Amino acid sequence: TGDSETLCRLSAAHTECPCHPPLRCCVSPTGDSWGIFTFLCAALCNLPALPALNCSEELGAGQSIQQTYDLTRYLEHQLRTLAGTYLNYLGPPFNEPDFNPPRLARAERVPSATVDLDLWRGLTDNARLAANYRAYSRLLCYLRVLDGQVGTAELRHRLAHFCASLQGLVLSIGGVMSSLGYPLPAGPAGPPAPPGAPAAPNDFLKKMDDFWLLKELQTWLWRSAKDFNRLKKKVPPAVVTLRLEARGF
Amino acid sequence: MLIYLQLSSPCPCLFSPMSGHLNLQPPERPLRIVARLLLPHSDVLSSLETIAASLLTCETKNHPSEEKRKRELQEVNLTFKGGLSKKRQMEVTDAIMMVRQAGVPARLTAVAFQYLRGSLGDPQNLKCVTHNLHKMLCTWDVSSEGKYGQTDFCYTTNDLTPQVCFKTKERRVEIPVPESSITVIIKSSGTASATKEFVIHQKDISFIPITPHILSLMPDFPNSALNLKWSDNGSVFPYGLDALWQIQILRKEAMEIVTQVTYYSKLTHEDVILSWSWRSDMPLECTSHYVKIRCYINATQFVGPKDWSDWSPAEVIPGKDTEPGGSGVFPLDPVVAVGSDLTFCCVHEEDQRITNMTYGSKSYTMTQLSSRSHAIRVLNANVSNSSGTNVVCRLENGLEGSVVFVGYAPDSPQNLSCETSNFLIIKCTWKPGRPSGLYGDRRTKYSLFERTSGKNVSCEVNEANKDHVCDFPVLPDQKNYDFILGVSNPIGQAKSSLLVNITQRVHPKTPEKLTVTGNNSTSIQLRWFINGSFAEIRLLCQIEVSSSHSERKLHNVSVPGRKSSTYTAQLNELHPDTKYQLRVRCSAADHFWRWSDWSRGVEQTTSEAPPARGPDIWRERSPSGESLIVFWKPLSLSESNGKIVSHEVSCYLLDTLLEHKVVFEPSNSTEIKLGKSDCVIKVVARNHAGSSPPSRITSVGLPSDNVTTDQAVAMGNGINISWDSYPNMTCGYIVKWCHSSGSEPCSVDWQKFPSNTTNVVIKSVRSGLKFTVTFESFLHIFLYCCSMKYFLAALFKPGVRYNFSLYGCKSMGYQLLKNITGYMKELPPKTAPNFIVEETSSDSILVKWEDIPIEECRGFLKGYLLSFAKGEKDALKPRLSNSGNPELKVNNITDLTKKSMKILDLQGKTSYQLELQAYTAGGIKETFYPEIPNPENSKALQFQRNICEGNKTLKTLEMNPCTPNSVEVVEAQSTSPKIEDTEMMSPAAETTVPEDGSESEMENHVVVSYCPPIIEEEISNPPTDEPGGSSQVVYIDIQSMYQPQIKPEEEPEIDLVTTAGYKPQMQLSISALKIEGHSPVEEELDKTAGYRPQANTNAWNMGTPDSPGSVESNNENASFGSPCSINSRQFLLPSKDDEDSPKPINTGWSFTHFFQNKPND
Repeated sequence: TGDSETLCRLSAAHTECPCHPPLRCCVSPTGDSWGIFTFLCAALCNLPALPALNCSEELGAGQSIQQTYDLTRYLEHQLRTLAGTYLNYLGPPFNEPDFNPPRLARAERVPSATVDLDLWRGLTDNARLAANYRAYSRLLCYLRVLDGQVGTAELRHRLAHFCASLQGLVLSIGGVMSSLGYPLPAGPAGPPAPPGAPAAPNDFLKKMDDFWLLKELQTWLWRSAKDFNRLKKKVPPAVVTLRLEARGF
Repeated sequence: MLIYLQLSSPCPCLFSPMSGHLNLQPPERPLRIVARLLLPHSDVLSSLETIAASLLTCETKNHPSEEKRKRELQEVNLTFKGGLSKKRQMEVTDAIMMVRQAGVPARLTAVAFQYLRGSLGDPQNLKCVTHNLHKMLCTWDVSSEGKYGQTDFCYTTNDLTPQVCFKTKERRVEIPVPESSITVIIKSSGTASATKEFVIHQKDISFIPITPHILSLMPDFPNSALNLKWSDNGSVFPYGLDALWQIQILRKEAMEIVTQVTYYSKLTHEDVILSWSWRSDMPLECTSHYVKIRCYINATQFVGPKDWSDWSPAEVIPGKDTEPGGSGVFPLDPVVAVGSDLTFCCVHEEDQRITNMTYGSKSYTMTQLSSRSHAIRVLNANVSNSSGTNVVCRLENGLEGSVVFVGYAPDSPQNLSCETSNFLIIKCTWKPGRPSGLYGDRRTKYSLFERTSGKNVSCEVNEANKDHVCDFPVLPDQKNYDFILGVSNPIGQAKSSLLVNITQRVHPKTPEKLTVTGNNSTSIQLRWFINGSFAEIRLLCQIEVSSSHSERKLHNVSVPGRKSSTYTAQLNELHPDTKYQLRVRCSAADHFWRWSDWSRGVEQTTSEAPPARGPDIWRERSPSGESLIVFWKPLSLSESNGKIVSHEVSCYLLDTLLEHKVVFEPSNSTEIKLGKSDCVIKVVARNHAGSSPPSRITSVGLPSDNVTTDQAVAMGNGINISWDSYPNMTCGYIVKWCHSSGSEPCSVDWQKFPSNTTNVVIKSVRSGLKFTVTFESFLHIFLYCCSMKYFLAALFKPGVRYNFSLYGCKSMGYQLLKNITGYMKELPPKTAPNFIVEETSSDSILVKWEDIPIEECRGFLKGYLLSFAKGEKDALKPRLSNSGNPELKVNNITDLTKKSMKILDLQGKTSYQLELQAYTAGGIKETFYPEIPNPENSKALQFQRNICEGNKTLKTLEMNPCTPNSVEVVEAQSTSPKIEDTEMMSPAAETTVPEDGSESEMENHVVVSYCPPIIEEEISNPPTDEPGGSSQVVYIDIQSMYQPQIKPEEEPEIDLVTTAGYKPQMQLSISALKIEGHSPVEEELDKTAGYRPQANTNAWNMGTPDSPGSVESNNENASFGSPCSINSRQFLLPSKDDEDSPKPINTGWSFTHFFQNKPND
């Protein structure tokens, strides 16, 4: 499962890296895993799409939390319009305001944000950040699949844009974790990540998956915003634990 | 003999072998069967068949639910008792299995029967039935005693064949079907032996075909179709019989008949497997579907009664509602055509309650199919949206759904067209027609199949494009392509075909890299590149050549095609020193199909060449005769072949060069000191490339006598000059004239005419004039807003005298033949003659006057009017107002040589008013001729030339200011401007004596408009006038060509301005006096007056409500509307800021006298 997660992230980094000129960073002190390196490269490559992550200046943990928080709010906002459009695309009853289907067993593959709130609060920052990181990585992969199947070009375009932003959030969370000195989760826990297209047996179930994906995304973003807000208050903005250096290779 | 079949279950079924009926109760629960079969004898098989047939009927008629259970009754354990051989045991087992396979396994579970052999009795009721027309089964009844005895059975068909006899223990035999009749003798053995003879005719034999057997019934769930296969058993029947097959489709647990169809076939004396399929309007998943079949064989030769066979056992396709755990909405994700009627069902668990079913956003009424299945019916389905229409079944605690894709079958592709641009790829395009409404995997797919090569290419098309495109590779050594464009989507398919020879469908790419590789004064070499391998064809390229002074021309070049190569071409016969724009496009030469797009253009200027010809020249002696002035005309652009830098004038006496002069542009004449001698003058025009051939003219002027001077006035647009033929003028005539522009020496112009000419019109309008303007900046503005034609081409102005001279050309030289004085149009004299009064006596005076200067006559002078009347100031006024003054006397003097007149019979000690006027054919010079004086040249203060000599006692002269009190409105468009005398009299301008000659200089009336910008007027208005006053007033007239850019909200005011036109100056002076007051009233006046003193810039900001207080808006708008400055006559060009200003308010401006420049300066 770890491999597929890495694969997913890597492919993201490769496909969405129209870097010009190639800008690379290294981590100081050197990261313990190749994954971090990949992540940072991906982060830098995605700089133009990331309003919240700016490599050119040194980021304190507080700052990067703030930026992650901002990005989360931005994504929340973005998702609100995207979800509206997408649910309209799915057609009734998915776009009906009171549509609340029972969650099918197969939809559990989408990481659920329905953990009890007290339980969630009881987790450590690290655990919560890691859960966030894992969840968005997975959600992102699902979202990419979604993107590939949509019939209309305009919606595809918007989904791609959202994916890019979400990718930014994943990297941003990674950045926060690094700046706080937490290791990045090696791979997502829970059920195995989809290797490619989730094999929904029919179109209706696929639509249900899409519906749940959006719903979960919404819940995750809502909760993440709360998490980062809390974290922000905890961490003074001046602390600098991550140092990025632009260096020509 | 006893056949006893005993089952371990209670026996619900009774079988009566005699009646052939069976009463069967369905078992309460599935049974494990143990059958005990006691078969002491061997003939169980046929008995079982009979039993089975009966049971089948019994079961299917009465207990359909039993059918369902049959699968559960998988085993029959048989115990054989008695001395049954192994072989027999096998036969019995097989028989039972066969019965089971026939669809009635259960009947054995419930069967117990006794087959008793009774004592012998009389056989009766012999019945024969044939199933195959070949053999028949005959049965008969016997009395109970005879049941178990042996029977001797004999039959004979006719007398010729021997009787066939055999013994049987049963009461049924199989014997051949007779052709006509058969005689049967049945002899029962037993206690009471009985023999009976029957004669059976064919008509007594029933024909009931064998019950058909369904070989297979296959469901096609996606298409909701059933495929049925069965054998026609044709091998047992003679060839060629018609067979009818009745097929019944039943549905639901209750086996409701959905449809019954009849299928026809012909028997071929072979076993043929027939098949039939049926499409259900309800998905097969929704509920169970059953099929059974029976047949009727129309054996026409057979005369006995014919009947349908029994129904075959029903085959079933069980619905999802019979499957444990089966649920969902069906059909699943179907693709259907728009307009279809659709049935959807929702299969759910038995214990779930269904809430509703929706299609799209609409809820539909459900019908129950079974306890676990409900259906809705949607009629005339519409196109679904791109993700499909959802069919949702809401259950009490769950949700099931399906997505239906409703779209259109693809249209046949229209306008299929294939072409190649490079002989590598064939590009086919077509119009797809109506969108299918299907997306993703269900979208319409295209493939291009080429029949000759068998190659198939699937096309990736962009649905969004109106034209679809598909590429097919050019195949080696293939020219003709037989394309079939196949279109398909899940709903349907279509195709379109095209046969093309690609060498005839060449559409080259746009030529690139167009460059000029060489040029001279008349030719240009071009090179360009075309991507593509055209080795097999010739290319036709078209080069477009255009320049600013010639029409666009196309040159075709045919070149052999090459592989991705450059091509060159040379263009000849170009004009020197001309900037050409060139571009190229190409096509196939032999089979034109399409031009490529034009390449990017290049520009190239050809080099200069020497001028093509020498200039037109003329010469004149200076008045002193000491020098000769040589004139030449500029060469046209097409003749100059470059920029003319100079003219070289040389003077030869025979072969001796007397003088050589180089005259640089822009001079068009030169003076040669020649003295009294003569020479031949040669003039060449020179540009950078060289000199023109020389033009020659001799300086010799032949003496002429009797030179007359004629008068001529233009008719139409030119001055007509005619003369008698002079036969000795061998080389034509020349009409020469002079454009005088007042103080400057006149510029000479001429025209040549051939010797047979006696009548020419010197046109006032001339094209191709070289026009140099002193005020170039004016010209720009001027060209924008004026009729260019008027200014540029009017050679002759009205009211100006032109002197024409007609010369004849002889080999020796030129001879003056005639002078002509002419006007383009006669106008009234500009001034009245100056006159003085002399020799005053008590009753007479002598009035003397002077000639009016020629330039002020503005026409041929016809005479003078001398008016005089008694009285003071206003004595002469009534005449103007036509009210008639009895005292007024007018003398018309038509003798132009007369320069004085004595007036007699005057009263002494009386004041007289005198007025002397001159007139031409153009009219009379009025006293108060409205003119706006030019302050610089104003004679207002000089007033009258002879004022000092004037007799003050008799001639009332008041030094009234020369206040312009009447204005002249000039129509700008008219070539001969109309003059209106508005005769607005200012109270300030009341003078007793006409201001003859006192008016300021008036330019001739070609003036379109003028901006007499400033009147530096020492205010001399009588005190009765408006008090106060400004010393500087600017008058701006409103030009007729003035196109105000109107702000919508300003319309009313602008309207006023435009309609007001030119307002009398009188009014203006009133407003002008108030200017500095800035009172609201005054602003009002300013606005309505239509023109404004420049000093009040606020007033130009008309309409902007906040503008008076806004400095910015003042600046924004002020200068653009003010062509004249306060203190100078300079025309103000709008500043940069104003050009950028989005809403210039007043774009009108005026022209001053500047524009009276001669057009051919």
